[in-house]
Amino acid sequence: MIKNIRKKINNGDLRRFRFWLQIFFFLLFVYGGYLSINLGQNIPTFACGFNSEGQGATCYLIPLQHQLALSSSTLFSMAGIAVLIGFSYFVLWFLVLNKGWCGYACPLGTIQDWITSLRSRLGIPYASYTWEQFKHLKKIKYILLVLMVVIPMGIGAGFFSHDMSTPFCMICPGRTLIPIFTGDFSQLTIDFSSKTKMILTTLGMLITGIFLAGSFFKKRFFCFFCPMSALHFMLSKLAFLKLKKDGSKCTKCGDCYTVCDMQIKEIADDVESKNILQDDCIMCLKCVSACPEEGALEVKFMGIPVFEATVEGYIKRMEKENKNG
Amino acid sequence: MANHKDEIKHPFNLTHQASEATRMLRSITDDFPDNPEAMNYFYDLYKKVYCEGVSLHENKKIVGTMCVQVPEELIYASGAVPVRLCNGFYTDDHNGADFMPAKSCSLVKATLGMLDSKSTLPFINRLDDIVLPATCDQKRKAGSMIADMGYSVYDMEVPPVKESEEARIYWRRSIRKFAGELKQITGKKLSKSSLKEAMAKISRAQKAYRKLYELRKQKNSVILGKDVFMVTNAYFFDEIESWTEAVNRLNVELEKRVEEKYSAAQRRAPRLLFTGSPAIFPNLKIPMLIEESGGVIVGDETCSSNRMLYDMVSSDEWHLNAMVDGIADNYLKPCTCPIFTKNDDRKRKLLHMAKEFAAEGVVYQSFSGCQVYSMEQASITKALNDEDIPVLFIESDYSPDDMGQLSTRIEAFIESLKAKRRRNRK
Repeated sequence: MIKNIRKKINNGDLRRFRFWLQIFFFLLFVYGGYLSINLGQNIPTFACGFNSEGQGATCYLIPLQHQLALSSSTLFSMAGIAVLIGFSYFVLWFLVLNKGWCGYACPLGTIQDWITSLRSRLGIPYASYTWEQFKHLKKIKYILLVLMVVIPMGIGAGFFSHDMSTPFCMICPGRTLIPIFTGDFSQLTIDFSSKTKMILTTLGMLITGIFLAGSFFKKRFFCFFCPMSALHFMLSKLAFLKLKKDGSKCTKCGDCYTVCDMQIKEIADDVESKNILQDDCIMCLKCVSACPEEGALEVKFMGIPVFEATVEGYIKRMEKENKNG
Repeated sequence: MANHKDEIKHPFNLTHQASEATRMLRSITDDFPDNPEAMNYFYDLYKKVYCEGVSLHENKKIVGTMCVQVPEELIYASGAVPVRLCNGFYTDDHNGADFMPAKSCSLVKATLGMLDSKSTLPFINRLDDIVLPATCDQKRKAGSMIADMGYSVYDMEVPPVKESEEARIYWRRSIRKFAGELKQITGKKLSKSSLKEAMAKISRAQKAYRKLYELRKQKNSVILGKDVFMVTNAYFFDEIESWTEAVNRLNVELEKRVEEKYSAAQRRAPRLLFTGSPAIFPNLKIPMLIEESGGVIVGDETCSSNRMLYDMVSSDEWHLNAMVDGIADNYLKPCTCPIFTKNDDRKRKLLHMAKEFAAEGVVYQSFSGCQVYSMEQASITKALNDEDIPVLFIESDYSPDDMGQLSTRIEAFIESLKAKRRRNRK
């Protein structure tokens, strides 16, 4: 019985499963508010809070930046416990899906995948980074993460003006784009109320433009720079959902690398690590579905295998792909 | 010189090569009982091509390939047919001695001999191009000699290191350049649809092969290694779709054998892996000796067989460049050819296969003069011995002279495996 279910899953069409699950999460996070759904404000993905009417949950980065901007005396008093509790909720949510939040739940990620599929349908090939570019670009998300912590704390300590609050949101394309889906174009403006706000919102508009153009040519363009992804990675070792590799079964054929939206080389080349999740990984699991080696790549939830690379599944998916395409 | 040889050309079935092929074929079919019915397709194919000189691939451009690294998808997509030229004839090895130093690899000499004599493969005169990947020294140097015989030769550059990113970029460029060369030859530009079709064609063949591969994991060996070598070796020159169909038919028959609990070898025959220099028809003397001595080859790690057919290509999106790059990676990264600097992948592959196939020993063939395989021998043997898998290293060439000596060694190895098994049981 369990064997049959497992076989069904391993032979399944991940692409279709993911497509629908992404739509489900998109509806939940972007329109859930209309059905009075509220999953709280500690969600580890871009369920944008600026989409005030439709939001079915709120991205944790908003409360995090607000809380860090509390005046230092408040932050380091009993109120700090509330901050820690918020963080704990965030961690708990995160532990369930690990970086699967990026590959399956993130509305901004889903938007990028839609743009990618538009490009692909138009017959335009995708761009990739060279390894040199990649090495440098992947550092940016850590810089953004540090700034996202330091600037609000600087506000709390009185070094920066309150106009700089939620600095990351100001430049995040999620803020400008996600509200559009509920008909709210108000974020697509430049705020002239102060010089700082003007600079930040201009930067936000600029990044939105870059986001749209970038993700048209580069798969998951924004995810390389995402500070949430950096934050995830720091906690990923604790998560319940794990991406495992058995290097002894790997032939390095590179099929996983070929399909990887994030150009993660280790997935094909690293035959030592058991826990193969890298910081850029979005856990879309395309690598697992493209792996023709029995059990070389495997997804486990709390030690229980849920999706595994099999020859049979690989061939089934490939035949289907050959028919459509 | 070539003209002179043309003049004295014998009818095909009277050449030395034809009689060599006939002898080997007879021994492959008659020395063993109960060959699978479906093997007749392959036996007949060899008979037609090597003994009767029946040509294949009429009205098609033919691109000869000299190593396993040539992406055949691109050749099919350009409307041509790839034919692997690596040759196993002792007669040709003899002829090829004119070109290479005495102590060089039989395979290279035999290939040179074949191309020079133009009488082993019936369609050898029709080669439109020969693609020669710059792999080992001997293959590399063979290129200009082949060009001097009047063939058109394309040198395909191969990086000597395969792990680095630079190697990947270099190789991808080399493959794209090759695609350009193919256009020159066939006049047909690669297109997305033709490449996709070619990829599907090859993946169907690989799927059939993978099935056969799985069937060899059975505890009761349902097929002998000599037959599998005949199957995979036929992939060198056969029409790919009929090859695939024939393998599928064979698989059906073997599945029946599994149900019937039929064993092609003795039930307690030691299970062996074959690695090293490739067994290419008619030089199947070592696989034959192994199986005549009571062992059974359950798997191999050679470029005439498993290495050629195992790794399958996939693509994320169907764009020409992405597809070509994906194909390129697939022909370089998993390749366990000993010409590359490191051989960790080959060790890992052999250890994994030994486990998967419950192999009790490994036979490592190295052609005398094949430096790279001989040089890797010690480290591979050590890696396998560390996992308690004995290795028999055999240095040999195409000449039949060492048969007696080899059969003694092989028999002793097989006996030692049986003794080891008895010891372990106690």
